Parts: sequence; C-alpha cells; structure tokens
Amino acid sequence: MKKDNEKNDTPVGDGDGIIVLKNLTKKFGDNIVLDNISLAIEKGKTTVVIGPSGCGKTVLIKHFIGLLRPSSGEVYFKKRRIDNLPENELNKIRTYYGFLFQAGALFDSLSVAGNIMFPIRQHYKITDWTEVEEIVKAKLAMVGLDGYQHFYPASLSGGQKKRVALARAIALNPEVILYDEPTTGLDPIRADIINELILKLQRELGETTVVVTHDMTSAYKIADRIIMLHNGKIIADGDADHIRNHPHPTVQQFINGQVSEDDLAVLRARGTITQAQFLPRDFKG
Amino acid sequence: MIAILGAKTIGGVSNVGRFARFVWQTMITSARCCARTGTYPLIWTQMNIIGVRSVPVIMITGAFVGMTLAIQAYDQLAGMGLEEHLGVLINISVVKELGPVLAAVMLAGRIGGALTAELGTMNVTEQIDAVRSMGTDPIRYLVVPRVLACLLLTPALIIYADLLGILGGYFISVIQLGINSRAYWNFSASGVELWDVSIGVIKGFFFGAAIAVISCYKGFTCKEGAHGVGQACTEAFVASFISILALNFALGVITKAIYNTFWPLRGLV
Ligand SMILES: Nc1ncnc2c1ncn2[C@@H]1O[C@H](COP(=O)(O)OP(=O)(O)OP(=O)(O)O)[C@@H](O)[C@H]1O
Ligand SMILES: [Mg+2]
Repeated sequence: MKKDNEKNDTPVGDGDGIIVLKNLTKKFGDNIVLDNISLAIEKGKTTVVIGPSGCGKTVLIKHFIGLLRPSSGEVYFKKRRIDNLPENELNKIRTYYGFLFQAGALFDSLSVAGNIMFPIRQHYKITDWTEVEEIVKAKLAMVGLDGYQHFYPASLSGGQKKRVALARAIALNPEVILYDEPTTGLDPIRADIINELILKLQRELGETTVVVTHDMTSAYKIADRIIMLHNGKIIADGDADHIRNHPHPTVQQFINGQVSEDDLAVLRARGTITQAQFLPRDFKG
Repeated sequence: MIAILGAKTIGGVSNVGRFARFVWQTMITSARCCARTGTYPLIWTQMNIIGVRSVPVIMITGAFVGMTLAIQAYDQLAGMGLEEHLGVLINISVVKELGPVLAAVMLAGRIGGALTAELGTMNVTEQIDAVRSMGTDPIRYLVVPRVLACLLLTPALIIYADLLGILGGYFISVIQLGINSRAYWNFSASGVELWDVSIGVIKGFFFGAAIAVISCYKGFTCKEGAHGVGQACTEAFVASFISILALNFALGVITKAIYNTFWPLRGLV
C-alpha cells in the first residue's frame, strides 16, 4: 500500500502533552456545557473521562478532533493550534485520530467490511485487495466479529454495532484513539475483552487513548489517569487511587453509584405518581 | 418587535451566506474531483441510482404534456383554420419550456426528496461527522458525486421527456384529431430549430445542479430527529421548485438576448 499524501509531521515536543486545551468554553445558545477548561492529554497514556450523563463528555472529546469548535479558548494538537483551522486542514490532522462514536455512526449503506475499509480506501491507494481483506478480518477478529463481513449495520445488535464501529476506529492504527463509551451496551465479558483490547493497543502501539465511560470497573482497569467532569468543570483529576480516595462528595457518590439525598427526595415525596386511571376509549365496564 | 425582526433578518442573511459557502465549496471540490479519477465510480453509482429509475416517470410526464397541449390548442387553431400549425406550437412548447421544467419538477420530487432524506438521516445519526472524523471531506465524498450525477443526467432525462412529449402530441394531433401527418411534420420542422432543442437541454444542466445542491444542503443542515428530516425534505422540494421556475425565467431572458444578438433578423421572417 502506498500513502496518498505523506503525512508531514510537525515537530513533537515531549513537554505539555499531545492534545492541549486552554481555557476552553463551549456554549450551545445559553447553555454553558464546558466552562473554562484547561487540560493536557499525555502522549502514550490512557486518560479516562467520567461524569454524569449530560455533563459534556462527548462534547469535550469532539473538540479534540475538531468536530466541534470552542465558543472561546484554544485547542492544540502536537503544539499546533487546531481550533481555528479550516476544514480541509483539519481533515489532515484527523488522519492521526480514531474516533468511536457513542452511537456507532456506522454507514448504513455499506456492509461491515465496507465500513472498516472506508478509512483505508480514503487514505491509501489500494493495489492489493487481499491485503485489505486481511486487515478487515484481523480488526474484526479483535472485536470478536470475524465472519460478519457481509452483514449490514441494520441487521446487527446494538453491541455488535458498537464493536464494528470500534474496529473501524482502529482500522488505520491511529496515534490517538478517542473512545466514546466503548463498553456501554456490552455484556460484562465482552466489555472486559474490549478493555483488554484497549490496553493491548496502547501497550503495543504506544497509542494515546482517551476513553469516555460510566463503567468504573473499566475505568479503574485501563486508566493511567481519570478526569471527572461535573457542571462544566473538572472536579477531580488523578490516577485510580487518587479518585477512589477523593474527598469531594460528588466524586464519591459517582464512583460508588450512590444517589444524593436531594435526588432521592423527589422519589420519596408522596403523590408524585399520578393516581388517575385511564380507560381505553371503547372500554365498556 | 423590532428585535424579533432584526433577529429574523440576521438569521436569513446568515442562512444565505451559509448556502453560498456550501455552493462555492461544492463547485471548487467538483472541479478538483473532475481532474481525479477517484470519484468516478461514486458518480457512476449515483447515476445508476438517480437516473435509471427516473426514466419511466419522466417519460410518462413528457407524454402527458404533449397530449394535453394537443387537445387544448387544437380548438383555438382550428377556429382560425390553422390546425396544421399545431405541430409547431406543441413541439416548441415541449422542447423549450414544458418538457425541461416539468421534468425538472418531477426530478425535484423524486431525486431531491431522496437525497435530502438520505443525507438528513446520515446527519442526525452522526454519519456525516463520522466521515469527517476519518479525515474525509463530506462534500467530496457525499455531495459532489450526487451533484455531478444530477447535473449530467437531468439533460439526458429531459431529452427523454421531449421525445415522449413530441410523440404524445403527434399521437393526439395526427391519429386522434386527423391532421395531415406530412403538414404536421413540415410545419414542425420549419418552426423548431436546433437552437430551441439545445436551450431545453442546456436548462437541464442548471436545473439538475440546482436540485442536487439545494437537496444536499437541506440534508446537511437538517435538524435532529425524524421530524427534522421530514421538514428538510419539504423545504428542499419547495426551494428546488421555486429555483427551477426562477432559473427558467432567467435563462429564458438570457437566451433570448443571445439569440437576438446573433440572429437579429430571424424574428422578422
Ligand atoms: N449539538 C448540540 N446542540 C445543543 N446542545 C447540545 C448539543 N450537543 C450537546 N448538547 C448539550 O450538551 C450537554 C452535554 O452533552 P454530551 O452529549 O456531551 O453529554 P455526555 O456527557 O456525553 O452524556 P452521556 O453520558 O449521556 O453521553 C447536554 O446538556 C446537551 O444538551
Ligand atoms: Mg456522551
């Protein structure tokens, strides 16, 4: 295989990290989702982002790859500012990345094999199709789906779609992989296989990995560093032990899956479940 | 009140701006893609999807246009004893105006709707973001093949519509209404020039491009959910329809000016 346009490497400094956010704020209308976040993702490490549903984890990692643009603040990739780059420049940067979408985002007009081949076909001149088929087979085997090449996404289960999407994200052995909830919707054993896969890719290829997850077992297992987002801010940042012993009550509630008293009060209050009985229109009693 | 008006105006202007940028990017990318053979298979696939299955509806549209014109115009011309001129009237209307416009409207419904729904669904299920996330320009991968396929096929489909329109007109005039076949064709041949047919076909390029660009844009900017996709389809059809009529008018004015410049005396003959 020959590369279409050779990647022109910008110099990599080993200082502050491969992805750097400076004072990043993101608003949708009046809704401030990320509030003045500064963060450096270290090269070759696995960073896990946790936080309650709707706190902006997906929004955060979409900024890493330029799928969303900040309302204010700066994003750097390998010391190069990317948040103000035009789309065609960004597309070159994005070839360094693999991105697993939370909902998979498989192309439903392409088969499983077609989906995994897509990034390969886009960036390489293919001379030898058997080689490509080998790659597809290997990637599918990694997620336990070899033999599903000719299926279409519509005929896969939710967890299978997620795994095909994962295989697509790692198809080009990218330098940085962003996983948005890789284990959600998988059974515990399959989830652990995915954890092992993430670890293997990171160890063997030295990939920089960012994982968004709610799954604390998975987070403790794979993380070099865990970041917790809450109300648009980073409220905890450190390795697994640091998070386990974190004094902040919100962090403790989250990692132990405890509901706060305020939330429970709503459910405990009487009369919140409506007593009214609705009868069908043609009911004759 | 004034604030609302102001916000509406700003919204409208920025929409126009975004659309203009989309058109501009599509044009640049198309030009670049024509030079590279990589996109040809994608264009070919789209041509099959878009074109082949449109042929029957386009032919039916054309035939009915021709037949209806014949029925309606016959009485007026016969009243003046000019029924043998029927051929000129029918054929010139069909090849110059009605064939292209009605075929394009048909395509706006058939192809435009499908394009908007397809791209709109891809948009709400993040498939377009997925294309971007893998470092591919979605305009190059998704829009350009569709626009080029539409642009190349619409003229061809218009020729089909013209053909069936002419046959339909002939069928009613000569076979049903009993006009002399020789006279019918003689008058037609003297009245309809290659110029008229070419105008109809050239219009096709513009209509095809307009339909595809508008439909793709609506798909790309469609709002979340099933309702958003439905709404985008409706808007795409209305916008395509209006732009077909407006383009038809503009091209009519321009081609007339060109014609008068090059053949200033023809009109007097
Ligand atoms: N395109 C958008 N337009 C408007 N608001 C958005 C958009 N995308 C996200 N938001 C808002 O940003 C907030 C964070 O969304 P996000 O998807 O990042 O949550 P999340 O942390 O990934 O949650 P989950 O764990 O459920 O996936 C939500 O309140 C959502 O309403
Ligand atoms: Mg999310």
